[in-house]
Amino acid sequence: MNLWIRLIIYLLAGPIVGGLLVGWDRRISARMQSRLGPPILQPFYDVWKLWQKQNLVARRPQNLYIVLFLLLVIFSGALFFAGSDLLLVIFALTLGAIFFVLGAYTASSPYSFIGAERELIQMMAYEPLVLLTPIGMYVVTKSFSVHDIANHGSLLVLALPGVFLGFLYALVIKFRKSPFDLSSSHHAHQELVRGITTEFSARTLALIEVAHWYEIVFLLGWVYLFFASRPLLGVCASLGAFLFVIFVDNVFARLKWPAAIRSSWAVALVLGFGNILVLSLLQG
Amino acid sequence: MAGFGKSPWILHYDASSCNGCDIETLACLTPLFDVERLGVVNTGNPKHADIFLVTGAVNEQSKSVIRNLYEQMPEPKTVVAVGACACTGGIFRECYNISGGVDNVIPVDVYVPGCAARPEAIIDGVVKAVQVLEQKHRAMRSNANRDQTLYLPAELADAPEILALQRIAYRLHEELYGGEENVPPLMETLPELTEEFSKTRFVKAVVNGKLIGSARARPNEHAAQVSRIMVHPYFQGRGIGRRLLAEIEHALQNDVKRFETAVGGKSEENIAWLQRQGYRIVQIMPAAPADTSVHLQKERA
Repeated sequence: MNLWIRLIIYLLAGPIVGGLLVGWDRRISARMQSRLGPPILQPFYDVWKLWQKQNLVARRPQNLYIVLFLLLVIFSGALFFAGSDLLLVIFALTLGAIFFVLGAYTASSPYSFIGAERELIQMMAYEPLVLLTPIGMYVVTKSFSVHDIANHGSLLVLALPGVFLGFLYALVIKFRKSPFDLSSSHHAHQELVRGITTEFSARTLALIEVAHWYEIVFLLGWVYLFFASRPLLGVCASLGAFLFVIFVDNVFARLKWPAAIRSSWAVALVLGFGNILVLSLLQG
Repeated sequence: MAGFGKSPWILHYDASSCNGCDIETLACLTPLFDVERLGVVNTGNPKHADIFLVTGAVNEQSKSVIRNLYEQMPEPKTVVAVGACACTGGIFRECYNISGGVDNVIPVDVYVPGCAARPEAIIDGVVKAVQVLEQKHRAMRSNANRDQTLYLPAELADAPEILALQRIAYRLHEELYGGEENVPPLMETLPELTEEFSKTRFVKAVVNGKLIGSARARPNEHAAQVSRIMVHPYFQGRGIGRRLLAEIEHALQNDVKRFETAVGGKSEENIAWLQRQGYRIVQIMPAAPADTSVHLQKERA
Protein backbone atom coordinates (compact mmCIF):
# COMPACT_ATOMS: atom_id res chain seq x y z
CA MET A 1 0.00 0.00 0.00
CA ASN A 2 1.13 3.50 -0.73
CA LEU A 3 2.96 5.12 2.19
CA TRP A 4 0.80 8.24 2.23
CA ILE A 5 -2.46 6.34 2.10
CA ARG A 6 -1.27 4.23 5.01
CA LEU A 7 -0.37 7.33 7.02
CA ILE A 8 -3.69 9.02 6.31
CA ILE A 9 -5.55 5.85 7.33
CA TYR A 10 -3.52 5.80 10.57
CA LEU A 11 -4.17 9.47 11.30
CA LEU A 12 -7.94 9.17 10.72
CA ALA A 13 -8.69 5.64 11.88
CA GLY A 14 -6.18 5.65 14.77
CA PRO A 15 -8.25 7.73 17.19
CA ILE A 16 -11.50 6.04 16.12
CA VAL A 17 -10.17 2.54 16.71
CA GLY A 18 -8.36 3.66 19.88
CA GLY A 19 -11.50 5.33 21.24
CA LEU A 20 -13.60 2.25 20.50
CA LEU A 21 -11.01 0.08 22.24
CA VAL A 22 -11.14 2.32 25.33
CA GLY A 23 -14.96 2.12 25.27
CA TRP A 24 -14.71 -1.63 24.95
CA ASP A 25 -12.24 -1.65 27.84
CA ARG A 26 -14.65 0.24 30.10
CA ARG A 27 -17.53 -2.01 29.16
CA ILE A 28 -15.64 -5.23 29.65
CA SER A 29 -14.23 -4.01 32.96
CA ALA A 30 -17.79 -3.21 34.05
CA ARG A 31 -18.96 -6.68 33.02
CA MET A 32 -16.11 -8.23 34.98
CA GLN A 33 -17.43 -6.34 38.02
CA SER A 34 -21.00 -7.52 37.19
CA ARG A 35 -22.08 -4.04 36.15
CA LEU A 36 -23.72 -2.98 32.90
CA GLY A 37 -21.06 -0.46 31.97
CA PRO A 38 -21.17 2.65 29.75
CA PRO A 39 -21.88 2.59 26.00
CA ILE A 40 -18.99 1.69 23.68
CA LEU A 41 -18.96 5.29 22.39
CA GLN A 42 -18.52 6.72 25.92
CA PRO A 43 -14.89 7.89 25.38
CA PHE A 44 -16.05 9.98 22.41
CA TYR A 45 -18.88 11.51 24.47
CA ASP A 46 -16.34 12.34 27.19
CA VAL A 47 -13.90 14.02 24.82
CA TRP A 48 -16.72 15.90 23.07
CA LYS A 49 -17.90 17.23 26.43
CA LEU A 50 -14.38 18.10 27.60
CA TRP A 51 -13.88 20.05 24.40
CA GLN A 52 -16.68 22.43 25.39
CA LYS A 53 -15.64 23.09 28.95
CA GLN A 54 -13.79 26.12 30.24
CA ASN A 55 -10.04 25.46 30.27
CA LEU A 56 -8.58 26.27 33.67
CA VAL A 57 -4.83 26.65 33.61
CA ALA A 58 -2.47 26.94 36.58
CA ARG A 59 0.70 27.70 34.57
CA ARG A 60 0.36 28.47 30.91
CA PRO A 61 3.22 26.30 29.47
CA GLN A 62 1.47 23.16 30.75
CA ASN A 63 -0.90 23.15 27.76
CA LEU A 64 1.95 23.58 25.29
CA TYR A 65 3.65 20.49 26.74
CA ILE A 66 0.47 18.48 26.29
CA VAL A 67 0.16 19.59 22.65
CA LEU A 68 3.78 18.49 22.12
CA PHE A 69 2.99 15.20 23.88
CA LEU A 70 0.08 14.55 21.51
CA LEU A 71 2.11 15.53 18.43
CA LEU A 72 5.00 13.25 19.40
CA VAL A 73 2.72 10.31 20.12
CA ILE A 74 1.10 10.81 16.70
CA PHE A 75 4.55 11.25 15.15
CA SER A 76 5.97 8.07 16.67
CA GLY A 77 2.86 6.16 15.55
CA ALA A 78 3.23 7.62 12.07
CA LEU A 79 6.90 6.56 11.96
CA PHE A 80 5.83 3.08 13.01
CA PHE A 81 3.07 2.69 10.42
CA ALA A 82 5.27 4.23 7.74
CA GLY A 83 7.64 1.30 8.33
CA SER A 84 10.50 3.40 9.69
CA ASP A 85 13.20 2.58 12.23
CA LEU A 86 11.94 1.02 15.49
CA LEU A 87 14.60 2.75 17.59
CA LEU A 88 13.55 6.14 16.25
CA VAL A 89 9.95 5.24 17.15
CA ILE A 90 10.99 4.50 20.75
CA PHE A 91 12.92 7.76 21.06
CA ALA A 92 9.98 9.79 19.75
CA LEU A 93 7.57 8.00 22.07
CA THR A 94 9.82 8.50 25.09
CA LEU A 95 10.25 12.18 24.29
CA GLY A 96 6.48 12.48 24.09
CA ALA A 97 6.09 10.82 27.49
CA ILE A 98 8.70 13.20 28.91
CA PHE A 99 6.69 16.18 27.66
CA PHE A 100 3.65 14.79 29.47
CA VAL A 101 5.68 14.58 32.69
CA LEU A 102 7.03 18.11 32.16
CA GLY A 103 3.48 19.37 31.71
CA ALA A 104 2.48 17.84 35.03
CA TYR A 105 5.59 19.30 36.74
CA THR A 106 4.83 22.74 35.31
CA ALA A 107 1.38 22.77 36.85
CA SER A 108 3.06 22.85 40.29
CA SER A 109 0.40 21.13 42.30
CA PRO A 110 1.49 18.51 44.83
CA TYR A 111 -0.80 15.89 43.29
CA SER A 112 0.40 16.33 39.75
CA PHE A 113 3.98 16.43 41.14
CA ILE A 114 3.62 12.99 42.70
CA GLY A 115 1.83 11.81 39.57
CA ALA A 116 4.71 13.06 37.43
CA GLU A 117 7.30 11.43 39.68
CA ARG A 118 5.45 8.14 39.55
CA GLU A 119 5.14 8.42 35.78
CA LEU A 120 8.94 8.76 35.61
CA ILE A 121 9.26 5.64 37.77
CA GLN A 122 6.88 3.80 35.44
CA MET A 123 8.95 4.92 32.48
CA MET A 124 12.07 3.55 34.19
CA ALA A 125 10.19 0.31 34.72
CA TYR A 126 8.97 -0.25 31.15
CA GLU A 127 11.81 1.33 29.18
CA PRO A 128 14.24 -1.67 29.38
CA LEU A 129 11.44 -4.01 28.27
CA VAL A 130 10.48 -1.74 25.40
CA LEU A 131 14.13 -1.32 24.36
CA LEU A 132 14.79 -5.09 24.37
CA THR A 133 11.92 -5.65 21.92
CA PRO A 134 13.57 -4.07 18.83
CA ILE A 135 16.91 -5.62 19.86
CA GLY A 136 15.29 -9.06 19.91
CA MET A 137 13.63 -8.36 16.58
CA TYR A 138 16.98 -7.24 15.20
CA VAL A 139 18.66 -10.46 16.31
CA VAL A 140 16.06 -12.44 14.36
CA THR A 141 15.58 -10.26 11.27
CA LYS A 142 18.90 -8.33 11.13
CA SER A 143 16.99 -5.08 10.73
CA PHE A 144 15.48 -2.34 12.90
CA SER A 145 13.13 -1.21 10.17
CA VAL A 146 9.45 -1.94 10.83
CA HIS A 147 9.00 -2.56 7.12
CA ASP A 148 11.67 -5.28 7.01
CA ILE A 149 10.51 -6.85 10.26
CA ALA A 150 6.89 -6.98 9.07
CA ASN A 151 7.95 -8.64 5.79
CA HIS A 152 10.43 -11.05 7.33
CA GLY A 153 8.25 -14.09 6.74
CA SER A 154 8.83 -16.00 9.96
CA LEU A 155 6.59 -15.86 13.02
CA LEU A 156 8.73 -13.71 15.33
CA VAL A 157 6.93 -14.77 18.47
CA LEU A 158 8.26 -18.33 18.07
CA ALA A 159 11.84 -17.06 18.24
CA LEU A 160 11.09 -14.38 20.83
CA PRO A 161 8.56 -15.78 23.33
CA GLY A 162 10.38 -14.23 26.30
CA VAL A 163 10.63 -10.81 24.65
CA PHE A 164 6.95 -11.01 23.73
CA LEU A 165 5.91 -11.76 27.31
CA GLY A 166 8.18 -8.96 28.49
CA PHE A 167 6.49 -6.60 26.03
CA LEU A 168 3.07 -7.61 27.39
CA TYR A 169 4.39 -6.75 30.85
CA ALA A 170 5.50 -3.35 29.54
CA LEU A 171 2.07 -2.89 27.95
CA VAL A 172 0.34 -3.15 31.34
CA ILE A 173 2.65 -0.44 32.71
CA LYS A 174 2.39 1.73 29.61
CA PHE A 175 -1.42 1.65 29.63
CA ARG A 176 -1.33 2.59 33.34
CA LYS A 177 -3.35 -0.44 34.37
CA SER A 178 -3.40 -2.15 37.75
CA PRO A 179 -1.10 -3.34 39.29
CA PHE A 180 0.91 -0.48 37.74
CA ASP A 181 -1.61 2.39 37.73
CA LEU A 182 0.70 4.41 39.96
CA SER A 183 0.72 7.75 38.20
CA SER A 184 -2.95 8.01 37.34
CA SER A 185 -5.74 5.51 37.72
CA HIS A 186 -8.69 5.02 35.38
CA HIS A 187 -10.95 3.90 38.17
CA ALA A 188 -12.58 5.60 41.10
CA HIS A 189 -9.44 5.48 43.27
CA GLN A 190 -8.81 8.95 44.57
CA GLU A 191 -5.69 8.83 46.71
CA LEU A 192 -3.77 11.17 44.36
CA VAL A 193 -6.87 13.07 43.19
CA ARG A 194 -6.06 12.17 39.58
CA GLY A 195 -2.29 11.85 39.63
CA ILE A 196 -0.49 13.16 36.60
CA THR A 197 -3.64 14.57 34.97
CA THR A 198 -4.87 16.42 38.08
CA GLU A 199 -4.17 19.92 36.80
CA PHE A 200 -5.40 19.42 33.25
CA SER A 201 -8.96 20.26 32.41
CA ALA A 202 -11.26 20.64 29.42
CA ARG A 203 -9.51 20.66 26.02
CA THR A 204 -6.12 19.80 27.41
CA LEU A 205 -7.53 16.72 29.11
CA ALA A 206 -9.30 15.84 25.86
CA LEU A 207 -5.94 16.02 24.04
CA ILE A 208 -4.40 13.68 26.62
CA GLU A 209 -7.29 11.28 26.03
CA VAL A 210 -6.81 11.41 22.23
CA ALA A 211 -3.06 10.88 22.62
CA HIS A 212 -3.89 7.83 24.70
CA TRP A 213 -6.06 6.47 21.86
CA TYR A 214 -3.25 6.87 19.35
CA GLU A 215 -0.87 5.25 21.81
CA ILE A 216 -3.12 2.19 22.22
CA VAL A 217 -3.43 1.64 18.48
CA PHE A 218 0.27 2.03 17.92
CA LEU A 219 1.34 -0.23 20.81
CA LEU A 220 -1.12 -2.91 19.70
CA GLY A 221 0.42 -2.53 16.24
CA TRP A 222 3.67 -3.44 17.92
CA VAL A 223 2.10 -6.62 19.30
CA TYR A 224 0.95 -7.36 15.74
CA LEU A 225 4.58 -7.14 14.60
CA PHE A 226 5.37 -10.33 16.55
CA PHE A 227 2.80 -12.16 14.40
CA ALA A 228 3.23 -10.15 11.19
CA SER A 229 3.67 -13.17 8.91
CA ARG A 230 0.12 -14.36 9.77
CA PRO A 231 -2.04 -11.19 9.59
CA LEU A 232 -5.24 -12.72 10.96
CA LEU A 233 -3.40 -14.26 13.89
CA GLY A 234 -1.68 -10.90 14.40
CA VAL A 235 -4.97 -8.99 14.72
CA CYS A 236 -6.36 -11.65 17.08
CA ALA A 237 -3.16 -11.54 19.16
CA SER A 238 -3.32 -7.72 19.42
CA LEU A 239 -6.92 -7.82 20.61
CA GLY A 240 -6.05 -10.75 22.88
CA ALA A 241 -3.19 -8.72 24.38
CA PHE A 242 -5.59 -5.83 25.03
CA LEU A 243 -8.07 -8.20 26.64
CA PHE A 244 -5.26 -9.64 28.74
CA VAL A 245 -4.33 -6.15 29.97
CA ILE A 246 -7.97 -5.46 30.91
CA PHE A 247 -8.14 -8.79 32.73
CA VAL A 248 -4.96 -8.09 34.66
CA ASP A 249 -6.29 -4.63 35.48
CA ASN A 250 -9.36 -6.13 37.09
CA VAL A 251 -7.81 -8.96 39.09
CA PHE A 252 -4.83 -7.16 40.62
CA ALA A 253 -4.53 -4.57 43.33
CA ARG A 254 -2.02 -1.76 42.91
CA LEU A 255 1.64 -2.50 43.68
CA LYS A 256 4.03 -0.09 45.33
CA TRP A 257 6.56 1.60 43.09
CA PRO A 258 9.67 -0.39 44.21
CA ALA A 259 7.78 -3.59 43.39
CA ALA A 260 6.90 -2.19 39.95
CA ILE A 261 10.54 -1.43 39.15
CA ARG A 262 11.98 -4.61 40.64
CA SER A 263 9.51 -6.93 38.96
CA SER A 264 9.72 -5.28 35.54
CA TRP A 265 13.54 -5.24 35.58
CA ALA A 266 13.55 -8.88 36.66
CA VAL A 267 11.22 -9.67 33.76
CA ALA A 268 13.44 -7.66 31.41
CA LEU A 269 16.54 -9.49 32.60
CA VAL A 270 15.17 -13.03 32.74
CA LEU A 271 12.63 -13.14 29.92
CA GLY A 272 13.87 -10.39 27.59
CA PHE A 273 17.63 -10.57 27.96
CA GLY A 274 17.57 -14.34 28.53
CA ASN A 275 15.59 -14.86 25.34
CA ILE A 276 18.01 -12.75 23.31
CA LEU A 277 21.03 -14.46 24.90
CA VAL A 278 19.75 -17.94 24.09
CA LEU A 279 18.86 -16.82 20.57
CA SER A 280 22.31 -15.39 19.85
CA LEU A 281 24.01 -18.47 21.35
CA LEU A 282 21.92 -20.69 19.08
CA GLN A 283 22.71 -18.54 16.05
CA GLY A 284 26.42 -18.26 16.90
CA MET B 1 -26.16 18.27 21.03
CA ALA B 2 -24.06 19.62 23.82
CA GLY B 3 -22.75 16.27 25.06
CA PHE B 4 -23.06 17.12 28.74
CA GLY B 5 -25.94 14.70 29.18
CA LYS B 6 -23.82 11.76 28.11
CA SER B 7 -20.86 12.29 30.36
CA PRO B 8 -21.55 14.06 33.65
CA TRP B 9 -18.46 13.75 35.84
CA ILE B 10 -19.13 14.13 39.52
CA LEU B 11 -17.15 15.52 42.40
CA HIS B 12 -18.46 14.33 45.75
CA TYR B 13 -17.69 16.25 48.92
CA ASP B 14 -18.79 15.48 52.46
CA ALA B 15 -19.30 18.83 54.20
CA SER B 16 -20.13 17.42 57.67
CA SER B 17 -22.43 14.55 56.89
CA CYS B 18 -23.14 11.62 59.23
CA ASN B 19 -22.01 9.45 56.26
CA GLY B 20 -25.55 8.25 55.61
CA CYS B 21 -25.88 10.22 52.37
CA ASP B 22 -22.25 9.44 51.43
CA ILE B 23 -22.90 5.74 51.59
CA GLU B 24 -26.03 6.15 49.49
CA THR B 25 -24.08 8.24 47.00
CA LEU B 26 -21.42 5.57 46.67
CA ALA B 27 -24.17 2.94 46.44
CA CYS B 28 -25.06 4.55 43.09
CA LEU B 29 -21.74 3.25 41.73
CA THR B 30 -22.36 -0.35 42.78
CA PRO B 31 -23.60 -3.07 40.40
CA LEU B 32 -27.19 -2.57 41.54
CA PHE B 33 -27.48 1.02 40.31
CA ASP B 34 -24.30 1.34 38.23
CA VAL B 35 -24.45 5.01 37.26
CA GLU B 36 -21.41 4.51 35.04
CA ARG B 37 -23.84 3.10 32.45
CA LEU B 38 -25.06 6.70 32.14
CA GLY B 39 -21.53 7.95 31.62
CA VAL B 40 -21.15 9.17 35.19
CA VAL B 41 -17.61 9.15 36.55
CA ASN B 42 -16.81 9.78 40.20
CA THR B 43 -13.71 11.91 39.63
CA GLY B 44 -12.53 13.29 42.94
CA ASN B 45 -10.85 16.10 41.01
CA PRO B 46 -12.63 19.47 40.80
CA LYS B 47 -10.81 20.38 37.59
CA HIS B 48 -12.37 17.39 35.80
CA ALA B 49 -15.83 17.63 37.34
CA ASP B 50 -19.12 18.96 35.94
CA ILE B 51 -21.39 18.32 38.90
CA PHE B 52 -20.53 19.14 42.49
CA LEU B 53 -22.37 16.80 44.83
CA VAL B 54 -22.34 17.96 48.44
CA THR B 55 -23.65 15.98 51.40
CA GLY B 56 -24.08 17.23 54.94
CA ALA B 57 -24.60 20.67 56.43
CA VAL B 58 -21.97 23.36 56.11
CA ASN B 59 -19.87 24.09 59.16
CA GLU B 60 -17.16 26.68 59.75
CA GLN B 61 -14.39 24.33 58.65
CA SER B 62 -15.96 23.00 55.48
CA LYS B 63 -17.08 26.44 54.28
CA SER B 64 -13.78 27.49 52.72
CA VAL B 65 -13.22 24.00 51.29
CA ILE B 66 -16.58 24.07 49.51
CA ARG B 67 -15.93 27.51 48.09
CA ASN B 68 -12.46 26.48 46.98
CA LEU B 69 -13.64 23.30 45.26
CA TYR B 70 -16.46 25.18 43.55
CA GLU B 71 -14.11 27.82 42.20
CA GLN B 72 -11.70 25.19 40.87
CA MET B 73 -14.38 23.59 38.71
CA PRO B 74 -14.43 24.72 35.07
CA GLU B 75 -17.62 26.27 33.66
CA PRO B 76 -20.30 25.14 33.03
CA LYS B 77 -20.87 23.52 36.42
CA THR B 78 -23.80 22.66 38.64
CA VAL B 79 -24.20 21.96 42.34
CA VAL B 80 -26.42 19.25 43.82
CA ALA B 81 -27.20 19.35 47.54
CA VAL B 82 -27.85 15.77 48.65
CA GLY B 83 -29.88 15.09 51.78
CA ALA B 84 -31.79 17.19 54.29
CA CYS B 85 -28.62 18.58 55.93
CA ALA B 86 -27.09 19.77 52.65
CA CYS B 87 -30.42 21.33 51.62
CA THR B 88 -31.24 23.25 54.81
CA GLY B 89 -28.92 22.24 57.64
CA GLY B 90 -31.39 19.52 58.65
CA ILE B 91 -31.54 18.59 62.31
CA PHE B 92 -28.18 20.28 62.85
CA ARG B 93 -29.27 23.70 61.63
CA GLU B 94 -29.39 25.23 65.10
CA CYS B 95 -25.99 23.94 66.18
CA TYR B 96 -23.48 26.67 67.04
CA ASN B 97 -20.98 25.46 64.41
CA ILE B 98 -23.41 25.00 61.52
CA SER B 99 -24.12 27.74 58.99
CA GLY B 100 -26.98 25.83 57.35
CA GLY B 101 -27.39 24.38 53.87
CA VAL B 102 -24.86 24.43 51.07
CA ASP B 103 -26.64 27.39 49.47
CA ASN B 104 -25.21 29.58 52.22
CA VAL B 105 -21.82 29.28 50.55
CA ILE B 106 -22.29 28.55 46.85
CA PRO B 107 -25.28 28.66 44.48
CA VAL B 108 -27.15 25.32 44.50
CA ASP B 109 -29.00 24.16 41.38
CA VAL B 110 -30.65 20.94 42.53
CA TYR B 111 -31.88 19.92 45.99
CA VAL B 112 -32.26 16.21 46.75
CA PRO B 113 -34.29 15.75 49.96
CA GLY B 114 -34.20 12.73 52.26
CA CYS B 115 -32.49 11.50 55.38
CA ALA B 116 -30.61 9.70 54.05
CA ALA B 117 -31.38 10.47 50.41
CA ARG B 118 -32.10 7.27 48.49
CA PRO B 119 -29.80 6.27 45.62
CA GLU B 120 -32.74 6.56 43.18
CA ALA B 121 -33.35 10.12 44.35
CA ILE B 122 -29.66 10.98 44.02
CA ILE B 123 -29.59 9.63 40.45
CA ASP B 124 -32.73 11.67 39.69
CA GLY B 125 -30.98 14.73 41.12
CA VAL B 126 -27.95 14.15 38.91
CA VAL B 127 -30.21 13.83 35.85
CA LYS B 128 -31.83 17.16 36.79
CA ALA B 129 -28.36 18.66 37.25
CA VAL B 130 -27.42 17.52 33.75
CA GLN B 131 -30.38 19.46 32.37
CA VAL B 132 -29.23 22.56 34.24
CA LEU B 133 -25.71 21.94 32.92
CA GLU B 134 -26.97 21.95 29.35
CA GLN B 135 -28.99 25.09 30.03
CA LYS B 136 -25.91 26.83 31.39
CA HIS B 137 -23.85 25.70 28.45
CA ARG B 138 -26.44 27.10 26.04
CA ALA B 139 -26.39 30.35 27.97
CA MET B 140 -22.58 30.45 27.78
CA ARG B 141 -22.57 29.90 24.05
CA SER B 142 -25.50 31.86 22.73
CA ASN B 143 -26.11 34.88 24.95
CA ALA B 144 -23.41 37.14 23.66
CA ASN B 145 -23.73 35.99 20.07
CA ARG B 146 -27.45 36.20 19.63
CA ASP B 147 -28.54 38.92 22.01
CA GLN B 148 -27.59 42.49 21.59
CA THR B 149 -24.94 43.78 23.94
CA LEU B 150 -25.71 47.29 25.18
CA TYR B 151 -22.93 49.68 26.18
CA LEU B 152 -24.14 52.29 28.66
CA PRO B 153 -22.72 54.63 31.25
CA ALA B 154 -22.93 52.90 34.63
CA GLU B 155 -24.65 54.57 37.59
CA LEU B 156 -24.37 54.35 41.33
CA ALA B 157 -27.14 51.74 41.39
CA ASP B 158 -24.91 49.40 39.36
CA ALA B 159 -22.19 49.34 42.04
CA PRO B 160 -23.19 46.02 43.70
CA GLU B 161 -23.46 44.28 40.34
CA ILE B 162 -20.10 45.65 39.21
CA LEU B 163 -18.51 44.45 42.43
CA ALA B 164 -20.02 40.97 42.01
CA LEU B 165 -18.73 40.81 38.44
CA GLN B 166 -15.32 42.03 39.58
CA ARG B 167 -15.09 39.14 42.06
CA ILE B 168 -15.79 36.65 39.26
CA ALA B 169 -13.66 38.24 36.56
CA TYR B 170 -10.54 38.75 38.68
CA ARG B 171 -10.73 35.33 40.36
CA LEU B 172 -8.20 33.84 37.94
CA HIS B 173 -5.65 36.45 39.08
CA GLU B 174 -5.78 35.08 42.59
CA GLU B 175 -3.53 32.13 41.83
CA LEU B 176 -1.32 34.19 39.51
CA TYR B 177 -0.49 36.68 42.25
CA GLY B 178 -0.58 34.19 45.13
CA GLY B 179 -3.67 35.01 47.13
CA GLU B 180 -6.56 37.46 46.90
CA GLU B 181 -4.88 39.95 49.22
CA ASN B 182 -2.45 40.68 46.35
CA VAL B 183 -5.24 41.40 43.89
CA PRO B 184 -6.75 44.82 44.74
CA PRO B 185 -9.93 44.29 42.65
CA LEU B 186 -10.78 41.28 44.82
CA MET B 187 -10.27 43.29 48.00
CA GLU B 188 -12.39 46.30 47.01
CA THR B 189 -15.44 46.80 49.20
CA LEU B 190 -18.82 48.21 48.29
CA PRO B 191 -18.33 51.52 50.20
CA GLU B 192 -14.99 52.03 48.40
CA LEU B 193 -16.58 51.35 45.02
CA THR B 194 -19.52 53.65 45.80
CA GLU B 195 -17.11 56.44 46.69
CA GLU B 196 -15.28 55.93 43.38
CA PHE B 197 -18.44 57.00 41.56
CA SER B 198 -17.99 60.63 42.64
CA LYS B 199 -14.65 60.99 40.76
CA THR B 200 -14.65 58.24 38.16
CA ARG B 201 -16.57 57.56 34.97
CA PHE B 202 -17.96 54.05 34.57
CA VAL B 203 -19.29 52.21 31.52
CA LYS B 204 -21.06 48.87 31.51
CA ALA B 205 -21.91 46.15 29.00
CA VAL B 206 -25.37 44.69 29.45
CA VAL B 207 -26.86 41.52 27.97
CA ASN B 208 -30.51 40.67 28.69
CA GLY B 209 -30.56 43.22 31.49
CA LYS B 210 -27.58 41.62 33.19
CA LEU B 211 -24.29 43.38 33.66
CA ILE B 212 -21.55 41.29 32.04
CA GLY B 213 -18.75 43.81 31.57
CA SER B 214 -17.48 47.10 32.95
CA ALA B 215 -14.62 49.57 32.68
CA ARG B 216 -13.80 52.81 34.45
CA ALA B 217 -11.58 55.87 34.02
CA ARG B 218 -10.70 58.68 36.37
CA PRO B 219 -9.89 61.98 34.62
CA ASN B 220 -7.02 64.06 36.05
CA GLU B 221 -5.80 67.33 34.55
CA HIS B 222 -4.56 66.04 31.19
CA ALA B 223 -4.75 62.31 31.50
CA ALA B 224 -7.36 59.74 32.40
CA GLN B 225 -6.53 56.71 34.51
CA VAL B 226 -8.26 53.79 32.83
CA SER B 227 -8.73 50.70 35.00
CA ARG B 228 -10.71 47.56 35.75
CA ILE B 229 -11.67 46.57 32.23
CA MET B 230 -13.48 43.35 32.95
CA VAL B 231 -15.79 40.92 31.18
CA HIS B 232 -17.59 37.92 32.65
CA PRO B 233 -15.75 34.67 31.75
CA TYR B 234 -18.79 33.42 29.78
CA PHE B 235 -18.53 36.40 27.45
CA GLN B 236 -14.79 36.76 26.99
CA GLY B 237 -13.13 36.57 23.59
CA ARG B 238 -16.00 38.33 21.78
CA GLY B 239 -14.63 41.86 21.54
CA ILE B 240 -16.66 43.17 24.49
CA GLY B 241 -13.58 44.38 26.36
CA ARG B 242 -12.38 46.24 23.26
CA ARG B 243 -15.75 47.97 22.93
CA LEU B 244 -15.77 48.87 26.63
CA LEU B 245 -12.33 50.46 26.31
CA ALA B 246 -13.43 52.38 23.22
CA GLU B 247 -16.56 53.56 25.04
CA ILE B 248 -14.69 54.85 28.08
CA GLU B 249 -12.13 56.61 25.87
CA HIS B 250 -14.93 58.15 23.83
CA ALA B 251 -16.69 59.37 26.97
CA LEU B 252 -13.58 61.31 28.05
CA GLN B 253 -12.08 62.37 24.76
CA ASN B 254 -13.00 66.02 25.17
CA ASP B 255 -11.65 66.24 28.71
CA VAL B 256 -8.18 64.70 28.50
CA LYS B 257 -5.20 64.44 26.15
CA ARG B 258 -4.09 60.92 26.91
CA PHE B 259 -5.14 57.74 28.60
CA GLU B 260 -2.99 55.94 31.14
CA THR B 261 -3.28 52.59 32.81
CA ALA B 262 -1.21 50.30 35.02
CA VAL B 263 -1.19 46.49 35.05
CA GLY B 264 0.58 43.95 37.24
CA GLY B 265 3.71 42.55 35.59
CA LYS B 266 2.46 38.96 35.74
CA SER B 267 -0.63 39.70 33.65
CA GLU B 268 1.23 39.25 30.38
CA GLU B 269 -1.93 38.51 28.41
CA ASN B 270 -3.57 41.70 29.60
CA ILE B 271 -0.49 43.76 28.72
CA ALA B 272 -0.39 42.24 25.24
CA TRP B 273 -4.10 42.96 24.84
CA LEU B 274 -3.64 46.61 25.85
CA GLN B 275 -0.77 46.93 23.37
CA ARG B 276 -3.07 45.64 20.63
CA GLN B 277 -5.53 48.41 21.61
CA GLY B 278 -2.86 51.02 20.94
CA TYR B 279 -1.33 51.41 24.38
CA ARG B 280 2.43 51.42 24.74
CA ILE B 281 4.58 50.68 27.77
CA VAL B 282 6.11 53.85 29.23
CA GLN B 283 7.43 52.64 32.54
CA ILE B 284 7.92 49.45 34.52
CA MET B 285 8.05 50.06 38.25
CA PRO B 286 8.83 47.63 41.04
CA ALA B 287 5.82 46.82 43.17
CA ALA B 288 5.60 44.77 46.34
CA PRO B 289 6.01 41.89 46.75
CA ALA B 290 8.27 40.44 44.04
CA ASP B 291 6.20 41.93 41.27
CA THR B 292 6.28 44.86 38.89
CA SER B 293 3.69 47.38 37.87
CA VAL B 294 3.64 48.08 34.13
CA HIS B 295 2.44 51.55 33.13
CA LEU B 296 0.97 52.01 29.68
CA GLN B 297 -0.41 55.03 27.89
CA LYS B 298 -2.09 56.10 24.69
CA GLU B 299 -2.45 59.57 23.17
CA ARG B 300 -5.94 60.78 22.34
CA ALA B 301 -6.78 60.12 18.70
